[in-house]
Amino acid sequence: MEENAIKDLFDLTGRVAVITGGAGLLGYKHAEIIARAGGIPVLVDLAAAQPETKAAQLAAEYSVKSLGCAIDITKADQVTSLLEAILERFGTVDILINNAANNPKVESPSGRAWSRLENFPLAVWEADLAVGLTGAFLCSQVIGAEMARRKKGVIVNVASDLAVIAPDQRLYRQEGLPEDRQPVKPVTYSVVKTGLVGLTRYLATYWAHCGVRVNAISPGGVYNGQPEDFVKRLATLIPLSRMAHVDEYQGAILFLCSDASSYMTGTNLVIDGGRSCW
Amino acid sequence: MTLRASSLFSLEGKTALLTGASGFLGRTFARTLLSNGARLIALGRSERLDAMSAEWAREFGAERMRSYRVDMYDLAALATVLDEIVAREPAVDILVNNAYELGPNTGFNTNGGTLEAAPLEQWMRHFTAGVYWPALTVQKLGPAMKVRGQGSIINISTMYAVVAPDPRLYEGTAFLNPPGYSSAKAAMLAFTRYVASFWGAHGIRANAILPGPFSNTEETGSNSVDAADPFLGRLRDRTCLGRLGRPDELAGALLFLASDASSYVTGQALIVDGGWTTI
Repeated sequence: MEENAIKDLFDLTGRVAVITGGAGLLGYKHAEIIARAGGIPVLVDLAAAQPETKAAQLAAEYSVKSLGCAIDITKADQVTSLLEAILERFGTVDILINNAANNPKVESPSGRAWSRLENFPLAVWEADLAVGLTGAFLCSQVIGAEMARRKKGVIVNVASDLAVIAPDQRLYRQEGLPEDRQPVKPVTYSVVKTGLVGLTRYLATYWAHCGVRVNAISPGGVYNGQPEDFVKRLATLIPLSRMAHVDEYQGAILFLCSDASSYMTGTNLVIDGGRSCW
Repeated sequence: MTLRASSLFSLEGKTALLTGASGFLGRTFARTLLSNGARLIALGRSERLDAMSAEWAREFGAERMRSYRVDMYDLAALATVLDEIVAREPAVDILVNNAYELGPNTGFNTNGGTLEAAPLEQWMRHFTAGVYWPALTVQKLGPAMKVRGQGSIINISTMYAVVAPDPRLYEGTAFLNPPGYSSAKAAMLAFTRYVASFWGAHGIRANAILPGPFSNTEETGSNSVDAADPFLGRLRDRTCLGRLGRPDELAGALLFLASDASSYVTGQALIVDGGWTTI
């Protein structure tokens, strides 16, 4: 066999990949590995996150085509326009990464323990579900259905280790605060991420005969300048004794987006340093 | 399909030990490891291993390949071989526990393999292959991995570690999937998590791959199926993707877990089953 004549198992040359939340911390890393593998990343995010600028940056760095789209994925008409823009520009769509989610810091500058279940504002609940679940639903409905029509495609839903286990609220405790003022991981995070795993399995069987594979990843926490004592406490919950680096989910994204995972659908790939195995 | 992968999944400079290297899935694992830059230490029982090793040495270079023929049920012989490997190979980075006995001695496709009939000896052969072989290789190779602060252990289990075989698949056929198989492969998952938990702090990762229906239609033997057998249609219908897996469709999962692309993945069971367990 001619080694250099062989196409790479993980190659994405010419494949158009939509990444929601694509201008964010992890979304941009997903877009980066798509570009490195020869794919065409389409970064979708709110205007404030500057998806066009980030897309141009990727195109320049990796010499690939790219597109940045500032839209609100909770609005059906905007998602439909997004698909039209992608098809007009590239003529195809091959990959959808449902990555967008609200993930606010648990502490609030106001000092009010807004994140506690008893105080949790209905408006925040609705906004979190709108971005994390409704957004993923709408993008799947519009872009996934297009891939199903074309009889080929991949969807990757970005869930969380908190889709597999519950938050350990002791991680977020602050010394000296009374119990009813202690910050906690918001309830919506667990609900949205667990919901995405259900969406993954639903879509996997729904479109199995249309050549569309659907899988999830469940990443653990990424080191991003969190307070030292938080990082230390979290490390004790993880067999590998550390948080993830920001680039450690790229392998899983590329594996699930490429033909290297051609016989996988409906799975949830947990990438948590072992946190949920003990 | 090609088995070659991009740099993120490269095994260049790494050494891998693979058991069951000449088997139906094992030989694809061997080629996958070699094609992506690893040196390969191949263990196998049958004389096929000699011919395959010679072919791999020709294709990838003799220095990339070493093979050992051993009947792993001879535990003393297995221990001796592993000791020799440890003495000669100070730096094994990847351990793939793939060997298994799929035949009449483990109750496959014989009346002696039913839930009602399976004798103690058969059960012990399952647990020896499914749990003790991985345990012994891990005990022998683990200490050097701990010293070097790195290692990826990959145990080849099955989807039948998480769901039971459906008896209706086998009705009216000569095929039978014995209870010891599901049980030992489920125990293998527990062992995988144990290693991940206890050696994670040493930088050692342990994961399992759970293949779905990858029927051996390539050859004739105790674990093969004729490509025209209607039994295969039942298996296809049971998956979501409506087809059986090809061995090369496990290459991506193996490379992902073996390489640094999965540096934060440990204690996991990676299911490659065409959606069998999704429904």
